[in-house]
Amino acid sequence: MSTKTIRGKAAIIGAGTSPLGKVPGRSPLWLAAEATKQAMADAGLEKGDIDGILCGHSFASPFHRFSIALSEYLGITTTFSNNYQVSGATAATMFNTAAAALECGLAKNILIVGGDSLFSGLTPELAMRSMSESRDQQYEMPFGIPVANTFAMTAHRHMKEYGTTPEQLAKVAVVHRKHAIKTPGAQMTTPITVEDVLNSKMITSPYRKLDCSLISDGGVAFIMTSADRAKDSKSQPLYILGGGECYTHEHIFLAPTIVSTGAIQSSKNAYAMAGVTADDIDFAGVYDCFTGTVIMILEDLGFCGKGEGGPFVEAGEIELGGKIPINTHGGLLSHCHPGVPGSLLHFHEAVKQLRGQAGEQQVIGAELSLVHSLGAGFATQATTIIGTEATL
Amino acid sequence: MISPQQAHLKPTPTPDADSEQLWKGLKEGKLFLQHCEDCGHIQYYHQAICRHCLGENLVEKEASGKGIVYSYSVVYRAPGPAFKNEIPYAVVLVELEEGPRMISSMVDIDPELVEFEMWVEMVVAPISEEITLPRFRPVV
Repeated sequence: MSTKTIRGKAAIIGAGTSPLGKVPGRSPLWLAAEATKQAMADAGLEKGDIDGILCGHSFASPFHRFSIALSEYLGITTTFSNNYQVSGATAATMFNTAAAALECGLAKNILIVGGDSLFSGLTPELAMRSMSESRDQQYEMPFGIPVANTFAMTAHRHMKEYGTTPEQLAKVAVVHRKHAIKTPGAQMTTPITVEDVLNSKMITSPYRKLDCSLISDGGVAFIMTSADRAKDSKSQPLYILGGGECYTHEHIFLAPTIVSTGAIQSSKNAYAMAGVTADDIDFAGVYDCFTGTVIMILEDLGFCGKGEGGPFVEAGEIELGGKIPINTHGGLLSHCHPGVPGSLLHFHEAVKQLRGQAGEQQVIGAELSLVHSLGAGFATQATTIIGTEATL
Repeated sequence: MISPQQAHLKPTPTPDADSEQLWKGLKEGKLFLQHCEDCGHIQYYHQAICRHCLGENLVEKEASGKGIVYSYSVVYRAPGPAFKNEIPYAVVLVELEEGPRMISSMVDIDPELVEFEMWVEMVVAPISEEITLPRFRPVV
């Protein structure tokens, strides 16, 4: 492991969101811009202070260079700008890279932002494009394999090897709904039971409708700055303590294994850099595109042993008061999933938890958060560890 | 950008400089794997270099076409209009006898009867003049 580090070098000083859920009549650029305005207000910065910008891919936007288009929309000129595309893992990669860029002097204040309108904004053409481009055209898509199917096959094999049950998958959905019900503005707020999940329509086995995440609109933004500048911030700065990433394959059939993931390596690197272990983490944001994804990733992040994810969830360990409360906002499964902004919402919840602003869902005394983003049938994995000043 | 009309057509592979030989073999009813003469690595799909040692000493050998179902998922909700008439269908992650895995889909079986470790064999399914897909059926 390299001795170079981003530990404590940069901090999140602003966070904001646009209206979330179903937001008709608003473009991805507006959603991103609105979230940016909220994040700037939170940080106490003006638009002229922003000199760097990192964005995720926006399916409903016709712009190839979303970060550049957004700078123009906001009327700013930047000296550091890029659009990242590692699917769902993009969120954590933006925080890791922004910390490095700030430490190396490429920018002073970096805007991390995503805006997309998967629910309201996709024209039939853009919807088809997003669907057809998600998997490889030669060796996967001709067989009618939606991206959901790659996640389904991994969960299916996990069930065979470790005895993970449909009821345990369902419990993940039930917990997320329970959390969403307590979150103002969540998209899904009707309580559900394990039976409701098991009785919902089969989509791609073993996943039923309620095992799958939502389709939403929304924008989410953060401002990051160097640790030195963060001291003068209007808001409570939250420090990046560690980052790690791992990319193992493009095609699901070339994944080294389908019952564990590159999250083992990405989190190992992040823990080592932060100088903490899984046991130290107070709150985790865990990418929850499907219920089984959460079970596998809890294992790979080290919150429980391999194959123990199902019983761990069943025992209530991911709820408030459990060993590791996760996604206390309701996650992609029940709160909101507008694509890349969806995984940025895990960071937004981490910020609320660390600032003690999570209300009824507050993890008492939360100082240390881990957020894990992933995508593309477990091909892309990225972990970020964030802490309060006390953890420096 | 594709049009809604095109969305009703199934995605058709476009052979490239790496994959031309693979698709040519399938057209003749043969599934070829690449064997690396330098390190012994066997790979699906075709590319100009070995994925293990990066050597270029690759020879193609016909696969037996047999393997087991390593994992699967039965699709009940089609990914777009082109597959609507086919649901439910079983997408399989096949582990070939020679080692490499590949994605395909099953024919000649009720998709709900597909099982882990089931022995399957390749059948060729032409979808156009140029392209033949490798699909699988149970070994009886």
